[in-house]
Amino acid sequence: MKARYKVAGMISMLLVLAMGLLWSTRSVSAAAEGKITGTVKLDGAAPHMKGIDMSKDPFCVKQHENSPAHLENVVVGPGGGLQNVVLYISQGLSGAEATQVASQEPVFDQKNCMYTPHVLAMNVNQKFKVMTSDQTTHNIHPLPNALAGNIPWNKSQPPGAPPIEASWKTEEVAISVKCNIHPWMHGYFVVVKGPYATTDEKGSYTIENVPPGNYTVTAWQEEYGTQTAKVTVAAGKPGTADFAFKAK
Amino acid sequence: MTSARKRFASGVLLASLFLLFAARDANALPAFARKYGLRCSACHEAWPMLNYFGQKFKDNGYQLMNDRDAPIWQNNGYWPVTIRITPSWHRESTDKVAVDQAASGQQRVTSHGFDVGGLDLLSGGTLDKNLSFLFVLSSDENAAFHFESVNARFDNLFGSPWLNLKVGKFELDNIVSEKRGLTLSSSGGGFQLYHFVPLGDNNFVGQIGDNQFGLEWLGHSANDRTRISAALINSSDGNVDLPGSNSYTGFFAGSQAFELGKLGTQRVGFYAMVGQAPTNTLTSGGPDFPIAGGGFGNKNFSREGFNGIFYLGKLDFQVVTQHGSDDAYFATSTAAPGALPAGARSAVWNGAFVETHYVYSPQLIFIQRSEWLRMSQQAIPGTPSNLGDIDNYVFGYRYMPIMNSRAGFAIHNEYSWIRQRGGAPDGTDLTSNSLFLGFDFDF
Amino acid sequence: MRRMMLNGSLVLTAVVTVALCSFSWAQATKAEEDRRLGMESHIGKLTGHAAAAQGTYRRYCVGCHGVLGDGEGENAQWLDPKPRNFTLGIFKCRSTTTGTLPLDSDLFDTIGRGLDSSNMPSWNPLSSQERADLAAYVKHFSARWVTEKPGTPIEIPKKPEVTAERLKAGQEVFQRVECWKCHGPTGMGNGPSAATLTDDQNRPILPYNFHDGNRFKCGTTDEDLYRIFMTGLDGTPMPSWSDNIKPDEAWDLVFYLRTLQPMKSKAKEIARQIGLKPGAPSAAPASAPQQ
Repeated sequence: MKARYKVAGMISMLLVLAMGLLWSTRSVSAAAEGKITGTVKLDGAAPHMKGIDMSKDPFCVKQHENSPAHLENVVVGPGGGLQNVVLYISQGLSGAEATQVASQEPVFDQKNCMYTPHVLAMNVNQKFKVMTSDQTTHNIHPLPNALAGNIPWNKSQPPGAPPIEASWKTEEVAISVKCNIHPWMHGYFVVVKGPYATTDEKGSYTIENVPPGNYTVTAWQEEYGTQTAKVTVAAGKPGTADFAFKAK
Repeated sequence: MTSARKRFASGVLLASLFLLFAARDANALPAFARKYGLRCSACHEAWPMLNYFGQKFKDNGYQLMNDRDAPIWQNNGYWPVTIRITPSWHRESTDKVAVDQAASGQQRVTSHGFDVGGLDLLSGGTLDKNLSFLFVLSSDENAAFHFESVNARFDNLFGSPWLNLKVGKFELDNIVSEKRGLTLSSSGGGFQLYHFVPLGDNNFVGQIGDNQFGLEWLGHSANDRTRISAALINSSDGNVDLPGSNSYTGFFAGSQAFELGKLGTQRVGFYAMVGQAPTNTLTSGGPDFPIAGGGFGNKNFSREGFNGIFYLGKLDFQVVTQHGSDDAYFATSTAAPGALPAGARSAVWNGAFVETHYVYSPQLIFIQRSEWLRMSQQAIPGTPSNLGDIDNYVFGYRYMPIMNSRAGFAIHNEYSWIRQRGGAPDGTDLTSNSLFLGFDFDF
Repeated sequence: MRRMMLNGSLVLTAVVTVALCSFSWAQATKAEEDRRLGMESHIGKLTGHAAAAQGTYRRYCVGCHGVLGDGEGENAQWLDPKPRNFTLGIFKCRSTTTGTLPLDSDLFDTIGRGLDSSNMPSWNPLSSQERADLAAYVKHFSARWVTEKPGTPIEIPKKPEVTAERLKAGQEVFQRVECWKCHGPTGMGNGPSAATLTDDQNRPILPYNFHDGNRFKCGTTDEDLYRIFMTGLDGTPMPSWSDNIKPDEAWDLVFYLRTLQPMKSKAKEIARQIGLKPGAPSAAPASAPQQ
């Protein structure tokens, strides 16, 4: 009798534990189910992106001998797809969902005297790396708005220098990054809360890990600003939102 | 002392009072403020009196020493000119003036009206790094200008702050500057101590308050806490052209500033002026026609004392003492080598003043000055020991509603009372008072 | 006509509204700053109190740095480089790493030293108490001093003896980390990137020319020079090098940089003896293209 009670007690305890575990991971596992997809296009003719004169640094010139470098403010792919647009959920996330920090560590590379990627999105407090693949000295000089909470810094990265690991304290769309040594080098860090995505060369994106619900998705492009769209994500049914920025 | 001489003496006193007022010259240059984008208050405790920062700027040869001093850094349109004007209403009252209509031969005379203290045209600044100049043209009531200051400076020679040279006409190195004084009235505008001569004395040379021609060496520590200077100046009244004689005067000054915790930075120093000046002159065609450069019969004079600037929070005290001595020939107005009156000897005196400022803010300042001069040895034995003693009390305030890097505008109100023992025509005490109400501005 | 008047009054209303808004914004900012007037600074034995510096700031600083400490004083429009905006809490002269707040003593030293080649003079005629109070007052403008601690000061090892080997090693560091990109192959401030440099407000700024022999922005001593390049000058293009130059190498670089200056120094004397020429021994930098 006594032993039976013991077993029942243990089972019920395990059950409680398991349920607790389920409860605690619910948002994550549920989030894994939902996502938001879509494309971002440019409505109109792609603006001409100026070529970059890198003649001040022979190394940079050499890297682009066969492929001339152009500014990357507006990169339009096949079918009018806009690359480097950051999409994030600006409304509809619960507090816990908004404070979740993506676990991967995105990399901002300085390659051929250009920033790869040109725009790097990340969560608040998400660690990211700045590395250099170049045989020339760069300095990484992000210029956030100090009054809003993120503090500017300025570090050097000569050839072969180890990556710089950093993170940002508050949301900011977007932090301009530049290299003073190579004035054409100009990119952005986009610091957001909750799940986010960046468009690929076709202009398509997928925001993963979105729990079912109603959301406002914001698309940010450095030249054209922001657009928003209402999206509903149901269990097992991804939400979709397509955006079109009008060419200036 | 004859009554004629007394009349002469009181006349001199009155004349010198008015001269003091007319010759007021300021060294506040919004031209500098414009150049550097600093407010008046950065350099002036209250315009035109300097604070330690302003004194250091001046001692560096009008340079902030941040490698932006040379005029090449200035906008082409920059022209370092400043104009100062002091329109006012003032009232002057002297109790005993020789008057023909008065039964006793003397009576009180009071005059009042609107007036202007002249106009100063100032320019100064750097010609290049460590090479600077200053000129101050002051006008009289006929808009005739005289050179109040005109000098060239060579600073930080061999890169050392201890080697600075100044040539031309300049203010003597008084850390308590009369030219930058905060008082403007006829009888209280100047410092008696910087112009004093005993009654009957005709030495017009030994006046610390007058700008002089000469060469000055100034050395100071990098932070200007320690300053020392020596100047060789003409023994003259400071006017242009070669002086009446070929004699020189030396002026030496030194001071040290030190920090006294929360009270601020205090400064103590000394000064000494020792020189010779002529008592006689060659003439041609009678005693009224002196020959330029024909002075002779040089005699000695000296003025020395301590000075200090003390801070007590918003209160500051400027203190100057003086021990002065004029040779018997000066003291008795005797032309050497003529015969001195029986028993004549040097005139000796002591004096001091304390000027207090309550700096409510850089834009509002209350001022008081009390000044005392006491004869300690009369030139002629038997003369009343207090003859010629002076007491001077001044009160006022200065409110600057406008004080930026382009202009300064002050409303100035001041009352002054002065008494000279035995200065009246009848040999009794002479008192005089001034009330001043005016605007003082520069741009 | 009436419509024009209506438009006029609308415009007027808008202008007044904007003016009132900016006024109340300024007031709100001021009120927020005033709440931080209890800020202190600690420099050695000195304790500075922000509240005690109100008069001093008004007397000496407000014309350029402004009532709100935002660098928008009445004279700011005439100045270049612009006066520092204290509300950001970003300072050139720090002994702490880039992106962190400086030490109180850094602010105190900057006030006393002034910044060469700018309009900021040395305020050392002010008493040390006044300067400590001002340092606290500078801090009270930014809320960062409430929420953040100053960064960790970089360690400066004891200065080694200057030797010919160290000078050569210093020159190699100069080449390797490419100081010449901005400062020029011989340190004349004419590197290929010099002409395009801008500060954080996007205003043109010049790299230091070693041949001028002027004071550095943040001091005159060898230790100051060490600190300048290791911490970088925040707000300017000069980055921090502490991640990429080892302490020992940093001293080598200090000694080499001294040889580029006109002033007499032991390093310069040794460089003369061994015939060390500034410039590029190996990786010849391209000369700056004609502008």
